[in-house]
Amino acid sequence: QLVSALHNLTRHVVYRGLTRAEDILSLFPENFHQNLKNLLTKIILENISAWRNEAQASQISLPRLVDMDWRVDIKTSSDSISRMAVPTCLLQLKIQEDVALCGNSPVVSALTVELSKETLDTMLEGLGRIRDQLSAVANK
Amino acid sequence: VSSQQFSALTEVLFRFLTEPKEVERFLTQLSDFATMNKISLGPLKNIVKSILLVPNGALKRNLSSEQVRADFIALGLSEEKASYFAEQWKVNSPTLTRLAVGQTLMINQLVDMEWKFGVTAGSSELEKVGSIFLQLKLVIKKGSQTENVYMELTLPQFYSFLHEMERVKTSLESFS
Repeated sequence: QLVSALHNLTRHVVYRGLTRAEDILSLFPENFHQNLKNLLTKIILENISAWRNEAQASQISLPRLVDMDWRVDIKTSSDSISRMAVPTCLLQLKIQEDVALCGNSPVVSALTVELSKETLDTMLEGLGRIRDQLSAVANK
Repeated sequence: VSSQQFSALTEVLFRFLTEPKEVERFLTQLSDFATMNKISLGPLKNIVKSILLVPNGALKRNLSSEQVRADFIALGLSEEKASYFAEQWKVNSPTLTRLAVGQTLMINQLVDMEWKFGVTAGSSELEKVGSIFLQLKLVIKKGSQTENVYMELTLPQFYSFLHEMERVKTSLESFS
């Protein structure tokens, strides 16, 4: 019962995003033991940002990008042309499935994608537009 | 076959080679040519088939127009006609080469990319969140089907992704 009560208290604090000692203190009932109240508040305040970060990290979300790697190859011949020198890019994205669904053993899958120079240019244009939109939002 | 007819036929051939998807049009033009010149379609088709082998082989082996001309002469074509064909070849070969390169094998080719970004307002754990997320949808061609891949990135991830892609571009450019 004690553990459950403590759990509820900490969840409430994290949920509401309470950061000031007064707010937390006001949650306790009137005749609660003074020193215990202060001690608990102090401990909660110390841990609150860690708990918030963890809650955010384990939110439901689309699969998340966890790593990326790339390499540039030069294609020198194929079955339709025996000599050429075409550069191409191979991009490997490591994607982790929704953390909330996987519990303690998240599944990470690697996706390898090939991009020609034209595709890469178009992609960079798109990414540039994202960056501009983000700065516009940030400046509002 | 007179040289006028030959040039007309060559034109039809090259138009087909540069637009290989226009098979219908090519066949129609061939049968028009046959009726106009009173040649029967069957033998014409056979001749065309053998003629088409030359540019395809030339493309594979990156032959110059002189070599194409020599090939045709070896096959028994008159010098005038062979030169005409070689000229046409020179004019069209960049397009044909580009087409052939475009057909080269690509693994999991990225075909399209869509995105949206927004702000996470709240969740079951946190009442007010206010963090920005970016969602990307990549359309990838796997064999003959396309597959959609969805993923989320945080802002710092997005900026480092952008940075890496710019490095790739520099690398690709230094090789072209």
